[in-house]
Amino acid sequence: MGLEEKVPEGILTTSLDSVINWGRANSTWPLLFGLACCAMEMIATGTARHDIARYGSELFRASPRQADLMIVSGRVSNKMAPVIKRIYDQMLAPKWVIAMGICASAGGPFNNYAIIQGVDKIIPVDVYVPGCPPRPESLLYAMDLLRAKQRSESVGEWRKVEEPLAVDEIMPLGA
Amino acid sequence: MPLDVAPVVRSYETQRTLNPPGIPALAPMPTGETDDTRRICEQFGEDIVAAGLHNGNQVVLVEPGQLKALATFLRDEPDLKYETLIDVTSVDRSRLPLDGEARFQTVYQFRSYSRNQHLTVIADCGTDPGDNGEIPHIDSLTGVYRGAEWPEREVYDLMGIRFDGHPDLRRILMPKNWPNHPLQKQAPLGGEEVPFTFTWDDPEFETLGSQILPAESTVPDLPPGMSRQNMVINMGPHHPSTHGVLRLVVEMDGERIVSIDPDLGFLHSGFEKTGENKRYKDFVYYTDRMDYLSAMSNNLGYCLTIEHMLGLEIPERAQVIRVIMAEMQRIASHLFWLATHVLDVSGTGMSLLMYATRERERILDLFEMACGARLTVSYIRIGGVWQDLPDAFVSELKDFLRVMPQKISEYEAMVTEAPLWQERLTGIGHISGDDALSMGLTGPMLRGSGIDWDLRRDRPYSGYEAYEFEVPTSDSGDCYGRFKIRLEEMRQSVRILEQAVDNLPSGLYKSNNRKVALPPRAELDVSMEALIHHFKLMTEGFHVAPGYFYHGIENSKGELGFFVYSDGSAKPYRLHVHGPSFNNLYAIDHISRGEMLSDVVTNIGSIDIVLGEVDR
Ligand code: SF4
Repeated sequence: MGLEEKVPEGILTTSLDSVINWGRANSTWPLLFGLACCAMEMIATGTARHDIARYGSELFRASPRQADLMIVSGRVSNKMAPVIKRIYDQMLAPKWVIAMGICASAGGPFNNYAIIQGVDKIIPVDVYVPGCPPRPESLLYAMDLLRAKQRSESVGEWRKVEEPLAVDEIMPLGA
Repeated sequence: MPLDVAPVVRSYETQRTLNPPGIPALAPMPTGETDDTRRICEQFGEDIVAAGLHNGNQVVLVEPGQLKALATFLRDEPDLKYETLIDVTSVDRSRLPLDGEARFQTVYQFRSYSRNQHLTVIADCGTDPGDNGEIPHIDSLTGVYRGAEWPEREVYDLMGIRFDGHPDLRRILMPKNWPNHPLQKQAPLGGEEVPFTFTWDDPEFETLGSQILPAESTVPDLPPGMSRQNMVINMGPHHPSTHGVLRLVVEMDGERIVSIDPDLGFLHSGFEKTGENKRYKDFVYYTDRMDYLSAMSNNLGYCLTIEHMLGLEIPERAQVIRVIMAEMQRIASHLFWLATHVLDVSGTGMSLLMYATRERERILDLFEMACGARLTVSYIRIGGVWQDLPDAFVSELKDFLRVMPQKISEYEAMVTEAPLWQERLTGIGHISGDDALSMGLTGPMLRGSGIDWDLRRDRPYSGYEAYEFEVPTSDSGDCYGRFKIRLEEMRQSVRILEQAVDNLPSGLYKSNNRKVALPPRAELDVSMEALIHHFKLMTEGFHVAPGYFYHGIENSKGELGFFVYSDGSAKPYRLHVHGPSFNNLYAIDHISRGEMLSDVVTNIGSIDIVLGEVDR
């Protein structure tokens, strides 16, 4: 449009999408939340050798309200499933989910009564990481894939108004 | 729509494995006698069904009515002095040729530390009529040994045996509305049929990644014994310092803790049931995933149990390699404990996490060198180890051992003398020796209360008798004492490792018994016989003679025990894991009473739990 020629030097033009996505993709804060063996590799990813800080993701937040990314690092039992769903619902949009390891992706070695065969039965998953456990490098690669996805999203997509939950759905009373 | 939790029956579960005639069979009666069994028989006479030795363990089968009297006698009799009830489990024998015998049996493991004796007691359960079939029941031992409380709840939850006189018989692992008792033999394994024939037009793919089911929370209710007069605080299952998915319901009066009710089972993965549906050798891979911080020790504990039942000799070199791996794993586990403990207590102290994981990564690198995996190693197999150590391993390990003691001193310099650290740990989480014994605590929790016991030294396995090392103990019984013990244990492990690498013998790295251990890969190309053995082992596995056996090893967290009941087939009929974290966590209520909420975090770290093992 030739707009660039009109603005003074030192000013860049860009689209809102790309500047917001740039910010999101470079500071995705994961939820401090470990389930099973895979969590040990997640912690290893967070420490000095693998250094997830390169992705701006070193800040593991314990509160779901402050986190953008849920790394489901381990097997999800029937007892844990409602809790995970609740935590996911508590996270503010935009939010993403990585299913780390075969257990979180599809149940893995635990094809039995106790374990949910894939966390995608209860929450939507953006990236699946194979491995039992995935090496830290795999998790970093998953972060790469997630960043690619984040960059391709449109800001508007996350602004769809969600139906607010009724109070008794959030916190069942009585009984 | 509530989450569909009812287990499905899969078609292949009904298929029978190929069994020779006469199998499945009941375990034979114990034979012979020892001083202890003679003493028990004298006292109880007719009420002892059988007593003697079975698979090298002392076993007593007792009439259910006399169980409690027997337990009291075992504890109080001066020539017996069985101070601790290590483990309670049960067997559902409904798939065995019972011939009118009782279907359910409960199995108890007693230990005398002062006399270094181990005794297995088995009792048949009586039955009461219930709504859906008969309900097995037996006397509870909680009045004799406090530590029986949780194991009995676990047996009730998973096997459905009621314990008469138990103060608090609730489900412990499964959700409270769970429809069955999963370890009963008629309960299906559950899970889903694995679809081997997906094509892209399969309807499953349409919903992939978006299959959101509502997962309804159950309404939390107040644990029994807690009062609404006090403040009740919920900690977990999603909490940064519970080391995983542990939920604690804490009752507080002002700043002080009145009681704690731990809610477990958020990571219950059905290990035992899965193990009963796998061939013996296939369960090794699952043991990694139980206590995922000490995978090697778990492998070792399981393999030793099965090898003992088979009567298998392990070559010298394999034994030493196993010791090397187990001790490295102990250091790695303690390093991780140290890092998270400091992080939990300080809240922000990330630096020790970074330092300790630096050394831990070196150990993981060594594991990777030996077997290609960092965490879930499955390196120790039945009959030996998976493959020989690579050439560079020993020099790398020596290199590591040279720097490690200095690093431990570095960590010590960072925290041991720090006044804040001492203030947060000294006198916190105190437990006396008698309480530790009656609660069945093991490992550093026991040694921290002045009981000088280490299975590696006192009931040696894998050739530990050949190594020189000290067992650190502390009389203080508090978190600081346990902290010092673990640091010293790392030093002792380094010492054992130094002796082991210097005396690493040459020879076989796994047993030559081709009926049990796989032939080396190279042999398959040249030997028809090796190929046949390989095929047999991979398709059918090996059979273990009918019987049962309990074996415990000293894990980094305490006594890790495996109880296996074999019916003679190629799969364990009953497989029970005694996880040290489970029993040690029981103490959290006792040691935290009267302390502050922030001390609970210290106590959890000091008990050193891994939820994969607590919940199994
Ligand atoms: S994928 Fe493997 S390592 Fe990860 S939680 Fe499952 S069993 Fe553990």
